[in-house]
Formats: sequence, structure tokens, C-alpha cells
Amino acid sequence: MIAFENVGLRYGHGPEILKDLTFRIAPGSFHFLTGPSGSGKTSLLRLLLLSLKPSRGTISMFGEDVTNLERDRLLQMRRHIGIVFQEFRLLDHLTTFENVALPHRVRGQSEASYRANVQELLDWVGLGDKMDALPAVLSGGEKQRAAIARAVISKPDILLADEPTGNVDPELSERLLHLFDELNRMGTTIILATHELNLLRKFDYPRMLLEHGELTFHD
Amino acid sequence: MTEPRKIGWSRPTPIVPSQSVAGRTLMLLIGIMTFLSCVTFGGVLLVQKSAVGWSADVGREVTIQIRPLDGEVLESNLRLAVSIAEGVPGVSSAHALTLEESERLLEPWLGAGLDLSDLAIPRLVVVRLADPNAADIARLEREISAISGASLETHAAWRVQLNTMAGTIVVSGILVLALILVATALAIVFATRGTMSTNREIVDVLHFIGASNRFIAGEFQGRFLMIGLRGGIVGGVAAILFFIFISAAMSTVMPEQSSAQLGVLFGQFSLGVAGLLGIVGVVLVIAGLTAITSRLTVRRFLSQIS
Repeated sequence: MIAFENVGLRYGHGPEILKDLTFRIAPGSFHFLTGPSGSGKTSLLRLLLLSLKPSRGTISMFGEDVTNLERDRLLQMRRHIGIVFQEFRLLDHLTTFENVALPHRVRGQSEASYRANVQELLDWVGLGDKMDALPAVLSGGEKQRAAIARAVISKPDILLADEPTGNVDPELSERLLHLFDELNRMGTTIILATHELNLLRKFDYPRMLLEHGELTFHD
Repeated sequence: MTEPRKIGWSRPTPIVPSQSVAGRTLMLLIGIMTFLSCVTFGGVLLVQKSAVGWSADVGREVTIQIRPLDGEVLESNLRLAVSIAEGVPGVSSAHALTLEESERLLEPWLGAGLDLSDLAIPRLVVVRLADPNAADIARLEREISAISGASLETHAAWRVQLNTMAGTIVVSGILVLALILVATALAIVFATRGTMSTNREIVDVLHFIGASNRFIAGEFQGRFLMIGLRGGIVGGVAAILFFIFISAAMSTVMPEQSSAQLGVLFGQFSLGVAGLLGIVGVVLVIAGLTAITSRLTVRRFLSQIS
């Protein structure tokens, strides 16, 4: 599903942040991406999200070389990928329902066509009674669940998560991880960046360890 | 399971929040620019209408001037000039001004109660042309020259000067309009870039969830089109009120005679249907300019950050 061949990344004329990354991610897998702060986890996720181009090497997704895609094709590819951020990145003036429904809305679909789907998903993440609430009145855990719902509403093949549990307490972190686990069981490929050791210990998924720009895999 | 969400009445919340766009300031700016554009347009239209009116009036008339000469009977020369003029093709009528009419003509300059019978002033024959292009002015001039002391005034030099002056004012007005539009476009570019920077978070989120640049530009353009329309309407209505006020002030503040004379010179300070349509046009142009400029700026901004 995802294949990196000798991928390197540098910003401008600076040093290489990511060096010679070569790996493959199988469909339906779950990987933790871990490593110390500043090791390049977010940069790697941005490469996977196709919001950055590598300085060298090739990236393939779904059997297609995505390194130098045209903008329109890039947009189509990006719609197969969901993303969850540590800082939620919900739009503060939209309700929970509207935030989660945003991916449908940007595709020009009518509310009638996705309403039931969004409601069902909000029920599933436990926010069925918070549909009309603005993000300002949601707790950290609720915001993150809304962000996860927004990321998976259009049923992406790949779900990327950048420190999704960074702003919630340990108990809630674990509950969120169960949510990701359930999504993975439904077939979504997940790469979740975290450096929370307790989660890495409790959930036995393969780890991608990024250190000094180099990536190693640990089962 | 929660209650099914009701839809139909409420429109979805705009993706770009209205308060995040520097709406009021931009609307005020667009309103002022529209007002200035409309006043310039109205002024140019007024001058142009008056100039066309003057030119057409003057062009339909030539004047035969007969100077009193010793040994010549002025009244008989006047009658002869009238009969010559009436015989020329393209002339609809010829009328020799009576002494009373000549007095009235000179009244604004020499005052009322003037007795011209003691003065040796030239007398005039006003010749009205049915069709200025078809009238044989050369023949009229040739035949009139047989009358001692007679000369023909076609007002051609005055018309050329008038047309040149009106043309200069119209061109200057168009230049001012163009400059106002350029200044408006520049202001919109700065406002749009500011808005885009303020809403960078929204743009990023929309990009991450797969929104196209076209969709994002459309969301911002919709906001700016509304601001442009509102600002344009405010400026256009203010300009119409301005012209109504000036027109009313002319007829109430100024003495009737002065007002009438200004009316003769500049026409009436009313825009008419053409003027109102022009103002509507200016409003639409400004709104369109706002939408197009903001869209181009947004697209440029998005391709820079993509």
C-alpha cells in the first residue's frame, strides 16, 4: 500500500531531516511511529499525507508513484488519507456535526446525503449528544474524538495520527487507542505517531523508530 | 441512538467565519471608492450631456450679422437677408431679431431698461437649419456677402473648442475612474492577503481534508463578493442622494435666475435613467472587481502555500 524507496527530506538548504528511508507498509496494518522529539516524525507523516515532496527518492501509494503528482491527482490521492493532529485542529466556529461533516461538504455533497452517516459516526465515538456543541465547550478527549470522526468520515484507506493522545490524560489516551484499534479491525491502515511509553507497552503493534533521521522497524 | 438531526431551515455555518474577514473596514473603503466613482461618472455624464446638447443646439443654428452702415437701410437689408436665407436648401426658418429681442439678449450684460434705438448696434438674423449636414452654408455665405455690412457666423470655432473641452473632461473623468478602480483593486489585494493569513488555520485544515484550491477560493470569494456588493450599494446610494441633494440645493438655495442660467450652462443636475443605470453599473463593476481580485489573490496565495 505504501512504499518508500531511498527517500530523503531536507528543508531548503538545511541538513537532511530524513535519510534514505526505504520501507513498505501493508494494507490493514497498524504501526506506531515513535522516536524522540525533533526526530522527524511529523515530517514523515507530512510526506505520507502528500503535503510535502521528498528531496530525493520515490514514494508509491496504492501502486502509484506519488512523488511528482499533478495537483488534481494529488487531491484525489489525499482523499484516501485521513489525518488526526495532537492539537485537534477543529474549526472553532463550526459545531461538532459540521466539523465532522466537513470532508463531505468540501466534496460538494448535500447535508441530506451524509447526515445519517455523520450521526452514526458521532454516536460511535460517543459524541451523539454533542452534535450541536461548539469545540470551545468540548473537553480535550471529546475534541480528539471529534477530530478522529472527521478523519474517518470519508472512510480513508490510511489514517495518520500525529500524537493524538498528547493533549489528553492517560486513561483517555487508552480509550482513544481502542478507537484506533477498532478502526484498524475494520480495515483501515493506521500509522500513529506517539512517544507515550505506556501506550507502546499496552498495545502490541509493530513500531517504526525514527532516530537521527533514520528509520528502523521493531515488531 | 440520538434524535435525527433536522435540516432544511438552517443554512450550514459558513466555513470562513464572517468576523474573521476585515469586513466593515473593507466595506467602508469600497463604499467610499464606489461613491467617488459614481460622482466622477455622474459629473462626466453631466458635462458630456450638456456638451452634446450645446453642440447640437448651436449646430442647428447660424447667425447673420448686419452692421449699420451709412447709406444703407438696415430694415430692408434684414428683410433681404431673411428672404435669401429662406431660399437656401436645408434652412427651415429665418427670423430677424426685433429691437426688443436684441435688448433682452443684451440685458444680462448691459442691464434692464436699455434703449437700443439710439445706438448703432448690429442686428441679427437667426437662421435655423432643418438638417445641419444638408444645409448649403457655402451658398448662404456667398449670397449674403452681396448685402453690405452682412457677415455669417456659423459658430464652428466655438463648437470645436466646446467639443475639445468636453472631450478633455470626459477623458480626465475616465482616467480618474480607472485610477479609483486600480486603487480599489490594490486595497482588496491587501485586505485579502491579510484575511488569508488570519485564516491560515482554516486553509490548512481544508487542505488536509482534501478540499481543492478552487473550493477554498470559492469560500473566500463568496465572502468578498458580499462585502463588495454591500459596499458598492452603500456608495451608489450615497452618490444618488448626493445628486438629489445638489439638484435640490440648486433650485432652493440659488436665486431662480442664477439657477436658470446655470441650468442653461450645465443642464439639470439630474442623472436621468442613463445616469442611474450607470451608477448601478459602477456598483456591479466594483462588486465584480472585488470578487475577481480577491479570487485571484486567494488562488495565488493557495498555490504559493500548496
